[in-house]
Amino acid sequence: MRRSHVIVVTGAGGVGKTTLSAALGVVAARAGKEVLVITVDPARRLSDALGIPGIGNRPTPVPDVEGLSAAMLDVTASWEAITRRHAHPDVADRLDANPFFRTIADRFPAAQSYAAAEQMAEFVETGYWDLVVVDTPPSAGGLDFFLAPRRMRDLIGGRLLRWLTGARLPARRTLYRITAKPVLRVADAILGGPLLEEIAEFLLDVRTLYDGLAARARSIERLMVRAATIVVSTATPASLREARRFYEELTDVDVTPRGVVFNRALPVSWIDAANAPPPDGRDALALRDNLRRWGEEAQRMHEARRKFAARHQTSIATIPWLESAPTTIEELTAMVRAADGLELAGLTG
Amino acid sequence: MLERKLLLVSGKGGVGKSAVTASLALRASRGGKKVLAIGMVDGFGLAAHLGAEEFKHEPHEVLPGVFTFAVDRSRSLDEYLKIQLRVPRSVPTRQFSKAANVLVDTAPGIREIISMGKPIFEVWKATYDIVIVDAPPLGQLLSYLRAPATIADLVPAGAIRQQAEEMRRALADPATAGLLLVTTLEELPVLETVEALSALEAERLIDGVGIVANRVLAPLGLAADPADVPDGPHRDAALLHEHLLDEQRLWASRLGDHDTLPFLFGLLTPGEVAARLADAWVET
Repeated sequence: MRRSHVIVVTGAGGVGKTTLSAALGVVAARAGKEVLVITVDPARRLSDALGIPGIGNRPTPVPDVEGLSAAMLDVTASWEAITRRHAHPDVADRLDANPFFRTIADRFPAAQSYAAAEQMAEFVETGYWDLVVVDTPPSAGGLDFFLAPRRMRDLIGGRLLRWLTGARLPARRTLYRITAKPVLRVADAILGGPLLEEIAEFLLDVRTLYDGLAARARSIERLMVRAATIVVSTATPASLREARRFYEELTDVDVTPRGVVFNRALPVSWIDAANAPPPDGRDALALRDNLRRWGEEAQRMHEARRKFAARHQTSIATIPWLESAPTTIEELTAMVRAADGLELAGLTG
Repeated sequence: MLERKLLLVSGKGGVGKSAVTASLALRASRGGKKVLAIGMVDGFGLAAHLGAEEFKHEPHEVLPGVFTFAVDRSRSLDEYLKIQLRVPRSVPTRQFSKAANVLVDTAPGIREIISMGKPIFEVWKATYDIVIVDAPPLGQLLSYLRAPATIADLVPAGAIRQQAEEMRRALADPATAGLLLVTTLEELPVLETVEALSALEAERLIDGVGIVANRVLAPLGLAADPADVPDGPHRDAALLHEHLLDEQRLWASRLGDHDTLPFLFGLLTPGEVAARLADAWVET
């Protein structure tokens, strides 16, 4: 069984994560590797580019590229599915009937990120793939994906439960004693009746999932730490700010990004060319002014990249601006070829 | 839209939400209003666009007539408990706050209602003519706007429920509150904006005051087709501009009625960006 190399592609929505993930997969497969690209985005563009009508939850071979498969992470996977997998059926039934759990299940997004992370781990653990490229969910630039296992552990082994129950797991019958704490009586008066009791009951049930779920969550966390994580950004100020914040937050959870890929970079040559004489004709002035404006934009992007690299001492790759997003296997390959510095981040070759 | 007492500004991350929020604060203060601009999620962007070096958690005047602060959840929780819910003094507050903090991290809707409550309390205090909020990005906006109803579903009675009900009414009242959505004319921001609008209309959580498209390019006004310009950077830059302009026109047509703000070229500070946008506000 091989130990898969894992690349996790992160970044704000709309910076080109899905396209880059597909392109890296195509290039690695063409170099003779068995590659799985996992996407969360049902983008038609990607399935079109890979020449498959749709991508399912199981790996689908891409007909035109030998060795390449794609799968979609099912982010609609629910809390119910997670508890059904890890809990005793009685507990799962009781959870389903608990109003607090139902509200959490509807509204706690970490469950979806966690389900996606579990699914990713399953693919990696088959040991079949040389390389697994993960295109992360767009929420919080993919950070939720990294935090989900930890949040899941926190929730089910969590502070609230420990505070309510003391360090040890109490029996169900001690529940009423818990809710009889004086502070909680005040809390109940404010919260309105049985809420705390419902929460406590929920947490007690969820607590029984702890051993299985926590062990699983920890192994996923380890997998994420050893993966090569890259941050994709464009050089717009907002996207850069996101990338910076994201880079720092990843470091906080012990993930050191392998590098930053700046997508849609304008040619640096425009900075100097802005002073060159425009072609003769009626449009000379308009053409000159336009190149000056975009030259300034190219310069701003260049400066931003330089600052980012100096600040984080990370490797930087750039992918030139393309008139339209790549939509064929050939265009995806060409995009990686035209990129500068991807090999520094250990992503190709 | 500046007639409302509470104006929330949201949009997909990266479309220039904080800059637009700051520009509206400037515009309101130019109209003689006393303005409070609140950063709900990331205080830094808003403060920078208002020309401040750093953000603070207490309202302070950064420009004549413009006050700002960034929401700090643990402080807001304290305020919520003591002032809004009138938790009795006899309650050991430290212990209670600790418990409440844990609860906030676990129970759905409570974190959101505390953040969402802050601007609403400011409106109720009526210290300012208008409260303009750099609200959470579109992806999170609905869960914030739904928070009062979430709490009401979850909590059968009591002070929190009553408070939540009052918040829900304040948000839904067009005379009090309105929501401005910011987008750029690109695929994902436009699609998400359209999707959010239909969800907002269906749920009637807050009255929409409009959409503004940010970073809109002006036509180049060339006499010739840029493709006929001789090879070189002048041609490439013209083609880039025309291509982006075509994309923007396409997505503008999918967006429906909207105002526009211009793409600002050049190396501008965040404060300059907000000032230029405030100049540029043109209702279309």
